[in-house]
Amino acid sequence: MKRRDFLKNAVMSGAALTLPLGMGPFLSLAAGAERPDLAVVRGASPARITGAAVNELGGMRRFVSRGDIVVVKPNIGWDRTPEYAANTNPVVVAEIVRLCYEAGAKKVKVFDHPVSDARRTYKQSGIADAAAAAGAQVSFIDERKLKDMAIKGQHLKTWPLYTEIVEADKIINVPIAKVHGIATLTLGMKNWMGIMGGWRGRIHQRIDESLVDLARFVKPSLIVLDAVRILVDNGPQGGSLADVRRLDTVIAGTDQVAVDAFGTTLFGMKPDTLGCVRIGHSTGLGNMNISKLRIKRIAI
Amino acid sequence: MKNIRRFIQALFLLFFLWLFLQTESKGANELGYPVKIFLDADPLIWLTTILASRSFYGTFILALTVIIVTAILGRVFCGWICPLGTLHHLAGKLKKRTVPIKIAGLYRIKYLVLIFILALAFLGVQLAGIFDPIALLIRSLSLAVYPMFSYALRSFFDGVYAWNIPFITVGSEFIYGFLKKTVLPFSQPFFLQGIIIGLIVFLILALNLREKRFWCKYLCPLGALLGLLSRYALLKRSVSEDCDGCGACLRSCQGGAGFPGGPGGTAMEKVKAWKSAECLMCLNCDDPCPKNAVSFGFSRKPASAALDLGKRRVLGSVLAGMVAAPLLRITPLAKVGVAEPTLIRPPGALAEEMFLKRCVKCGECMKVCITGGLQPTFLEAGLEGIWSPALVPRIGYCEYRCTLCGQVCPTGAIRKLNLEEKAATKIGLAMIDKGRCLPFAHNMSCIVCEEVCPTSPKAIWFEEVRLRDRKGREMLLKQPRVDLSLCVGCGICETKCPVLGRPAITVTNLGESRSKDNQLLL
Repeated sequence: MKRRDFLKNAVMSGAALTLPLGMGPFLSLAAGAERPDLAVVRGASPARITGAAVNELGGMRRFVSRGDIVVVKPNIGWDRTPEYAANTNPVVVAEIVRLCYEAGAKKVKVFDHPVSDARRTYKQSGIADAAAAAGAQVSFIDERKLKDMAIKGQHLKTWPLYTEIVEADKIINVPIAKVHGIATLTLGMKNWMGIMGGWRGRIHQRIDESLVDLARFVKPSLIVLDAVRILVDNGPQGGSLADVRRLDTVIAGTDQVAVDAFGTTLFGMKPDTLGCVRIGHSTGLGNMNISKLRIKRIAI
Repeated sequence: MKNIRRFIQALFLLFFLWLFLQTESKGANELGYPVKIFLDADPLIWLTTILASRSFYGTFILALTVIIVTAILGRVFCGWICPLGTLHHLAGKLKKRTVPIKIAGLYRIKYLVLIFILALAFLGVQLAGIFDPIALLIRSLSLAVYPMFSYALRSFFDGVYAWNIPFITVGSEFIYGFLKKTVLPFSQPFFLQGIIIGLIVFLILALNLREKRFWCKYLCPLGALLGLLSRYALLKRSVSEDCDGCGACLRSCQGGAGFPGGPGGTAMEKVKAWKSAECLMCLNCDDPCPKNAVSFGFSRKPASAALDLGKRRVLGSVLAGMVAAPLLRITPLAKVGVAEPTLIRPPGALAEEMFLKRCVKCGECMKVCITGGLQPTFLEAGLEGIWSPALVPRIGYCEYRCTLCGQVCPTGAIRKLNLEEKAATKIGLAMIDKGRCLPFAHNMSCIVCEEVCPTSPKAIWFEEVRLRDRKGREMLLKQPRVDLSLCVGCGICETKCPVLGRPAITVTNLGESRSKDNQLLL
């Protein structure tokens, strides 16, 4: 099955499933039921597709309330410029920041704990400038704010995490879709490594279980997966334009497992091939059965 | 006049310190400021580098300017510009009055040091940077004083932060945020040998308590060079017939111009025997003269008292250089395959022999190194190479797209690379220790090294192998391998390897692009 066919089937079956729901005793929830689980928007303008995807889910006001302090967490892991698809698209990040303020957020914070030097990653990724221009408070990780936290996961019991994450009113995950050596792919859940302190490379020993533990702990309100450009080889750092595919797509959702499950299809994979998706599904963090999800696909 | 000089001195010192603070990445590829211009303007570094490397390099306009200005105006560089001189000046203020040391001819030491350095340079050994005031100052600030400053401030503000006192902590965090944006480094620097280098500079500054500007008068080889150049300077001091030999000018003298002949002689004789080579042109002596007998002006009259170094001393100094040069070189470290494998030079560094002839150990590259991985060597490169830069990946790796060290190197010991050249420059090769690597030795999943490897395609790849765990269950494991043809030796794998202390993957300088011989691959 080709990826496109697969997606088409997924959308069709998803749509078919939603129909009886709308007619049942859930009429009072009609507004909610009409909302898709995932919004997949394709188009030439990264800002517009980002806005449209959030809109399909009910608009940013569904996720951000007036006066909220919001953390927007992109992937700013590597010293690469945007066209190499190693970091989240800066326009997507800036648009999310803008929408948050539009929804009444008091303050929007943008940060990541990069692998390469933070000054270079922030600058070269274009994210620091773009997010700051949109009004975000862009800051480097302050080591003093990495504190041991009781994650109480199955494998990750305690780990130093960034306190600004737990102190935030709302968290929005804005990862980019890339291939990755040990994790196969890095999508939404993998992005939480960017709030970890300590010798986080150690979690590679049980990467999938640890990521699910982290994702369960963080609980983002919204996930916007950037697939404007995806990295299909030599990930997660890339370094060659030949390894970049332009999909001009963003995927938005509230279910961390569902977003990542859909993310696998961008690479022609099945959701259950990704360990953290499989474990996230089986432990009830979310739903990886794309066929059972309501997926709204639009092109603009 | 005194206040004008003080103002100019302060201006140059602040300019120097500001440039020093700018010697740090802001995330862009270029620094944007000419952070090395004080080194560019240093004639001693210029001259010795040319002599030692037998080649011209880069910018010499500033050094030539200083030479010409000195030949006309005398040692104005020492008295008005040199940041180390100004610091000596300030350190001397800690003591109200110091009595000049009563040893005749102590001032000659600096000339003998200069001759020694020049003799060595002539024989191809570059040691000027050890003694040169600008290199010494930048090295000391970079590797010791600035890290201390940062450590002290950080621990203070961290303390207030940890106590979390109402109002006060908010205020201190505000100040801390401001300091972080202005004078504090991005992250706390740590340098091997910072303690030794710090002690040396504090000792040199403490000498001012024995006698003001001790370093400038007796030790500084750059001062000596500028002194020689100012022998026939046109700007001269003259004393009119009104002088009654009260000695007020002698007491105000910053340099050693008033004591050319040592303790002997009357005050009158000393006043008259002004020595242009020892005068820092501070113009201090102009003000206190009760008779207004002292004046500075241009004149073509033949020079002041002659500089008498003594033939034997000069010869002795030259001989010392001739002895020191081969002594420094009889180390097996220069032999192929013997060289210290951990001596990983920064990307763009010249071949070792030429590198040592160019490197003046100023520490600029170590200051600017974005990860702090560039560290001063001790004896890894022989005594000749002491305090030259080497990458210690356990401390910090070489950021793949960063080229700052080559941008700040004043003598071209590290070439300025563009991004394409940088990507193609190997500083060493990584190799895996199978006895410590988790997937090899312990059947555990890891390959952090593969994740962080920055080349495209990655130099570190993995082979998926089927193994059995303790209970005999089959498991799939990814084991890393290094593609030596792709590895550039940046060391990020070593830095990030979770096997701490003695990492399971380490870089040595084998395979470094700059060496013709230190190679492994066919």
